[in-house]
Amino acid sequence: MRAVRAIAANTLREAIRDRILYLFVGFAVVMVVSTKLFGMLTVGDETKIVKDIGLASMQFFSMLIAVMMSMILISREVDNRTVFNILAKPVRRWQFILGKYLGLVSIVAANLILITVVLMLMVLIVAGELDFMLLFAGMMTMLEMLVLAAFATFFAVLTRPILGSLMTLAVFVVGHLSADLWLLTRQLPGALTRMVVAVVYYLLPNLERFNFRTAVVHDLPIPGAAVAWAFVYAGAFVTVVLYLANLRFVGKDLK
Amino acid sequence: MKQRLLKISIVALILSVAVVSEIQLGRIPEEDPLGRELLYLPSPEMLKIMSLGNPGLAADILYLWSIQYYSLFKPHERFLYLETIYNLITDLDPLYVDAYRIGALIMQIQTGGDQQELKGAVRRLFEKGLRNLPENWGLAEAAAWDFFIRFRDRETAIYFAEMAVRHPEAPARIKRMVGVWRDKASAWSLEDSIAYWRRAVEDAEDEWDRTMCMNQLYDAVAARDRERLEPLLKTFAGRYGFCPSSWEDVVRAGALREVPRDAFGDPYGIGTETCGLVAFKKFKDQ
Amino acid sequence: MTDIQLKVKDLQKTYHPGLFEASVEVLKGLSFEVVRGEIFGFLGANGAGKTTTIKAITELIYPDAGEITICGLPHTALEAKRRLGFMTESPYIYPHLTGREFLRFSGELLRLDRDDLEARISVVLEEVGMDDRADRTMGTYSKGMLQRVALAQALLGDPELLILDEPMSGLDPLGRRDVRDIILGRAAAGVTVFFSSHVIPDVEMICDRVAIIVDGTARAIGTVAELVSEEATSYEATFVGAVPADLETPLQAHHVASGASWVRVATAQRDDLIQELGDRGARVVSLNPVRTTLEDLLMKHYEGLES
Repeated sequence: MRAVRAIAANTLREAIRDRILYLFVGFAVVMVVSTKLFGMLTVGDETKIVKDIGLASMQFFSMLIAVMMSMILISREVDNRTVFNILAKPVRRWQFILGKYLGLVSIVAANLILITVVLMLMVLIVAGELDFMLLFAGMMTMLEMLVLAAFATFFAVLTRPILGSLMTLAVFVVGHLSADLWLLTRQLPGALTRMVVAVVYYLLPNLERFNFRTAVVHDLPIPGAAVAWAFVYAGAFVTVVLYLANLRFVGKDLK
Repeated sequence: MKQRLLKISIVALILSVAVVSEIQLGRIPEEDPLGRELLYLPSPEMLKIMSLGNPGLAADILYLWSIQYYSLFKPHERFLYLETIYNLITDLDPLYVDAYRIGALIMQIQTGGDQQELKGAVRRLFEKGLRNLPENWGLAEAAAWDFFIRFRDRETAIYFAEMAVRHPEAPARIKRMVGVWRDKASAWSLEDSIAYWRRAVEDAEDEWDRTMCMNQLYDAVAARDRERLEPLLKTFAGRYGFCPSSWEDVVRAGALREVPRDAFGDPYGIGTETCGLVAFKKFKDQ
Repeated sequence: MTDIQLKVKDLQKTYHPGLFEASVEVLKGLSFEVVRGEIFGFLGANGAGKTTTIKAITELIYPDAGEITICGLPHTALEAKRRLGFMTESPYIYPHLTGREFLRFSGELLRLDRDDLEARISVVLEEVGMDDRADRTMGTYSKGMLQRVALAQALLGDPELLILDEPMSGLDPLGRRDVRDIILGRAAAGVTVFFSSHVIPDVEMICDRVAIIVDGTARAIGTVAELVSEEATSYEATFVGAVPADLETPLQAHHVASGASWVRVATAQRDDLIQELGDRGARVVSLNPVRTTLEDLLMKHYEGLES
């Protein structure tokens, strides 16, 4: 476990010393703070607009950080061959993958916590109350990011830097579309078509399962089972994807 | 240092060329600005998919845009596609109260065109809102008033008011009002409306609620003033053969002591085409 | 047999670069053994398979066939890797870390005792002459400084076996001397050194034994003296005056300069040459056996490959 921790810590440190992270984080914070301006444009409930834009920024920038940082922190490690220094030491390949994943996840988490705090402050300013459901929305976004970061790690370890990022981005997009596509294609005739779609639907994560933003903005009741299953769902996907990453990475020649 | 300054100046120069060309492009009149952008509105399904899990945000953006876009138009211009837009917004975020409430208000600004059709559109929007937000008695109350005052449709007004009354939390004033409307609508005077909304402003639970009630109060006051002041315009027109262009003319003719003012204390205007009173209602934070 | 620190047996590796490119057979049954305490030179031209072999030993690539043991353990065992110190061909480092942080990270990966890790780091930094520059980020280092830090991380775990891939490349003469001294010092302390290079003098200077690797196989293995004496086959003579035009002994090479001549003949013709020169009254100044250098040896193997 010591190797995993050391690799994660080094990943985190690399990110912290990289200017590009601050660019993203800065943009995210500016976006959330500027929700007040958008709120001022509306006739009606400013808080809704602040929360909508804030939560969307939270998701978008977390995704961006996961995608970009996976390229910088993981693909580059393999591409620049610094990974040689690690793997020639008493370190298993799965430890490298897990360490990198945890490092990436902790960066995304740090950013998410920051955005959530800023958003809660903004809502406090606009509505005069602390909305703790925003913490919940942040937590569920983190679940989504855990799944996405697993895919980012998978692609980063196995493909070229930019290709890996694009593929992660594709998973993000498809992950949000899959539920809609699933709904649309269920009306298609033909058992075979439906079966193919079903296979695709279940093999890719349905990231909408972690989307509680509407419920949080409109104060809707949130079923406990939906939250509990979302945790199980995320956990299963993270495990499977990291396991596959390891399966492919073990036995891969590093040139 | 000098060279650097030169480089910066060159960049600034080229950039200013770009800015100037953009300004020039903006000056070229477009053929049919009215409603054209609206033709490109995608379907709610498409927008929901494109928002990648943020339909609420998409609804907000459309809503903000609709407010800014329509605030530029004059009331006699046709408000094309308004129903489509608010339908789209409320498809994306069915629980967006403001989109129903303010959407209906914006639609009502249109004074020309087929008023019967407009009435139908406003009713459909309110019905949709109350289907999605059955608990919101305030929305039903607003609908009732819009139909009672704006469209002078007692039946529809009572229909919505009763919806509001069915909710246990609805204030007693609505029940009393429905009673009068149902039994003896003619007995309900504009003074009653003004008193009703004065009380509602006092009862308001939050700033936004108060603003909305102020708005209704404003309309009630304007309606009363219209009833009182428009005959003066008719008399004036009858005597001089033309409609006065401002209330100052009426004051100078000796028919009024001073320029009449609305509930917010701002002077009224005169619509010369119809020769009627114009109230420049603004949403004011009181 | 426990004395064998590194054993590579019948190693084979073919790369399959892509769908439309031909496969490249890099290692074709490479075998050698490195004995405890020796400095083993791994000599070959670029592309001969040196780095591939080293990557196979350090488990960065997976050979198609063959067996590798380190200190008697399979090379994939964590314990084997713990006893190994490895320096890559070029220093692949993190520009955001300082030299000291990089070593700390390496120490964590090597599972070194945290209590004396800092002390150990200071020792190796001093050993490679980087103690005064260890707190600058590595992005600011020169190639030579990076090589030194890379060497430091290889030494950090007190390895029993040091694998150095081209450790001298990119170093100035002073740096080369320092690295050579470090290698010799560690070897004197009982560390086995596996030293890969394409620079012949480096290998000749410090290696006890040498493997010459050509086209994925070891063509010759032995001490420098063994490899060279076996191949010493010519003599050089210097004498006063021009080369006689009617000299019958076949010359391999000759050169005339300011009143003296130099000729080279095969060992078999040495006596004929002396005889002939004596007959003609030429005054022989010197007669030396030509010791084949590793370079000649390498060239010979390559010529054999081409023909």
